[in-house]
Amino acid sequence: MGSQGGGDGEEVNMAAWLVSINTLKIQPFKLPSLGPHDVRVKMKAVGICGSDVHYLKTMRCADFVVREPMVIGHECAGIIEEVGSEVKSLAPGDRVALEPGISCWRCDYCKEGQYNLCPEMKFFATPPVHGSLANQVVHPEDLCFKLPDNVSLEEGAMCEPLSVGVHACRRANVGPETNVLVMGAGPIGLVTMLAARAFGAPRIVIVDVDGYRLSVAKELGADEIVKVSTNMQDVSEEVEQIQKAMGDGVDVTFDCAGFSKTMSTALSATRAGGKVCLVGMGHNEMTVPLTPAAAREVDVVGVFRYKNTWPLCIEFLRSGKIDVKPLITHRFGFSQKEVEEAFETSAHGGSAIKVMFNL
Amino acid sequence: MELGEEENKAAWLLGVKTLKIQPYHLPPLGAHDVKVRMKAVGICGSDVHHFKHMRCGNFIVKKPMVIGHECAGTVEEVGSEVKSLQVGNRVALEPGISCSQCHLCKDGRYNLCREMKFFGSPPTNGALANLVVHPANLCFKLPDNVSLEEGAMCEPLSVGIHACRRAKISPQTKVLIMGAGPIGLVTMLAARVFGAPKIIIADIDDSRLSFAKDLGADEIIQVSTNIQDVGEEVVKIQNAMGANVDVSFDCVGFDKTMSTALNATGAGGKVCLVGMGRSEMTIPLTPAAAREVDVIGIFRYRNTWPLCIEFLKSRKIDVKPLITHRFKFTEEQVEEAFETSAQGGNAIKVMFSL
Repeated sequence: MGSQGGGDGEEVNMAAWLVSINTLKIQPFKLPSLGPHDVRVKMKAVGICGSDVHYLKTMRCADFVVREPMVIGHECAGIIEEVGSEVKSLAPGDRVALEPGISCWRCDYCKEGQYNLCPEMKFFATPPVHGSLANQVVHPEDLCFKLPDNVSLEEGAMCEPLSVGVHACRRANVGPETNVLVMGAGPIGLVTMLAARAFGAPRIVIVDVDGYRLSVAKELGADEIVKVSTNMQDVSEEVEQIQKAMGDGVDVTFDCAGFSKTMSTALSATRAGGKVCLVGMGHNEMTVPLTPAAAREVDVVGVFRYKNTWPLCIEFLRSGKIDVKPLITHRFGFSQKEVEEAFETSAHGGSAIKVMFNL
Repeated sequence: MELGEEENKAAWLLGVKTLKIQPYHLPPLGAHDVKVRMKAVGICGSDVHHFKHMRCGNFIVKKPMVIGHECAGTVEEVGSEVKSLQVGNRVALEPGISCSQCHLCKDGRYNLCREMKFFGSPPTNGALANLVVHPANLCFKLPDNVSLEEGAMCEPLSVGIHACRRAKISPQTKVLIMGAGPIGLVTMLAARVFGAPKIIIADIDDSRLSFAKDLGADEIIQVSTNIQDVGEEVVKIQNAMGANVDVSFDCVGFDKTMSTALNATGAGGKVCLVGMGRSEMTIPLTPAAAREVDVIGIFRYRNTWPLCIEFLKSRKIDVKPLITHRFKFTEEQVEEAFETSAQGGNAIKVMFSL
């Protein structure tokens, strides 16, 4: 197996393949040929997402089923090695962050700007599309975003989870008047909190079952932290605690966990006319007090990944409005042993927020 | 009939299923109030619920209360500062008096005002009476070609209008309506007038469905009460639509209807929960949210009377077929009217003529 053109013609491109349940193997990964509008990127930083862990553990995620070996990973950044014949915006040596999903650009969703909902979406590590935990990948030029000098490649990889937070804040219309409640202080809750602050949210309360994660959230800028339980009976007491902590009404709640309890709390805690944004994907079916919330015109806003977020994320990182570096708690190299250890660490949760590979 | 000599009577809710016509002493006429002689009063599902249970949601009837809120009548007297209305004007009444001082009122979302005083929502007395006193700014003049009964229909129609506004119905939105009762029907009429190019309506009752077809539904689908049938019914609905369902209105509000609505609606669409069937629901919310199907809530309406009246005046909407039963304002007929309304079936809107 040879590499694709370029100077280092002897090197075999290796990737982390999801072969079966709990089985990742570093094996050769033959890249497709470079199209005129594609670039070949040497991966430098790749983060692990909860969905990557879910695929590892179950070989599926919602309706997506891994039917044949697939390269894992999608939160990534690297350096351009080679550009296609029509590429004008990028050159070899450029440091770029990658937006994972290639949409079709022909359907109504794409044409109307909702490309994240494209039914033909080809997304890194969503079967059957290979991911990017590899030495190199080939990707469209327009989905590779140049990083300013003061933004590291690891921060570039963090643009992906941060994009989830940014998209959620846009859909929920977070602004300088929005008091925000975040359910869940895991990586998604934290990037949502950071995004909300960057969008101007004056007050942010964050809740979690884990005291350590709450203290991390406090250090990252939460105005108040509230420890909650997993017990459904505690909802009303917790709603009171939350409202007290907020001081004023809760305008927007982000449920970054996605369980009946967190959603019930969110629906009850949000003020009339507010919004609950369901970001987390805990349980498919939930038992929730939807009617009393709807009868107060509390809307439920859904989010699926993101759209048009990389430029804004990069700007936030460049200007220092957002600092994602503290979220990277664990780092691993790209070897068989380390890949396995990294996924175990990420699956563990707790003090592991973002686990990052350095290639 | 001389003002002041006649004793004002109203239909009082005294206990479960106990309505009595008794004297109703009106408050004094404020400077910005008008006194209205009621001519047409409709019965709403919430009135029936109060009648059956002495409560509705968090509203509990703790003392005798006048029932009714869907109403229209003629102005008998105007307060000293009233300029917009005169004695003799025919008016439709918007039931709820909000505080005008809280941030919700000042933000234009007065329907959510916590100090709202709403006809027939305890402890505020309703409008099924000979006379009521009401702020002039909540009494809307009816054009000559709009009857008082149509005026009373502005109230339920307002629910449909408000829902269509919140759900942003347009010539591009294909609509599914769960429930062909009075609320499903006014929502359908409103959706059509907002331009919806295709409307499918679903119900368990086939006579209500054929009524909906007569009123203009493009397709009707009979569904069951069995939660196992959701998957099959979603396929039927999507086939009938032929394209994505853009907006679903759940005008019933049960697990089954909400689950069907969430699953049937296309990615990026909206489900508007209008009906108030159950407080807590077990529903596939996550897969819908993960397709960016949003859930929009509705509480009553705001700023809808002028638009309703315009739709009725221009005949863009015809609500008259929805008035299926009429009763007079006597003790016996009041009870019979409520029984008829509670029965459902072919009773869509039951109307009192006073």
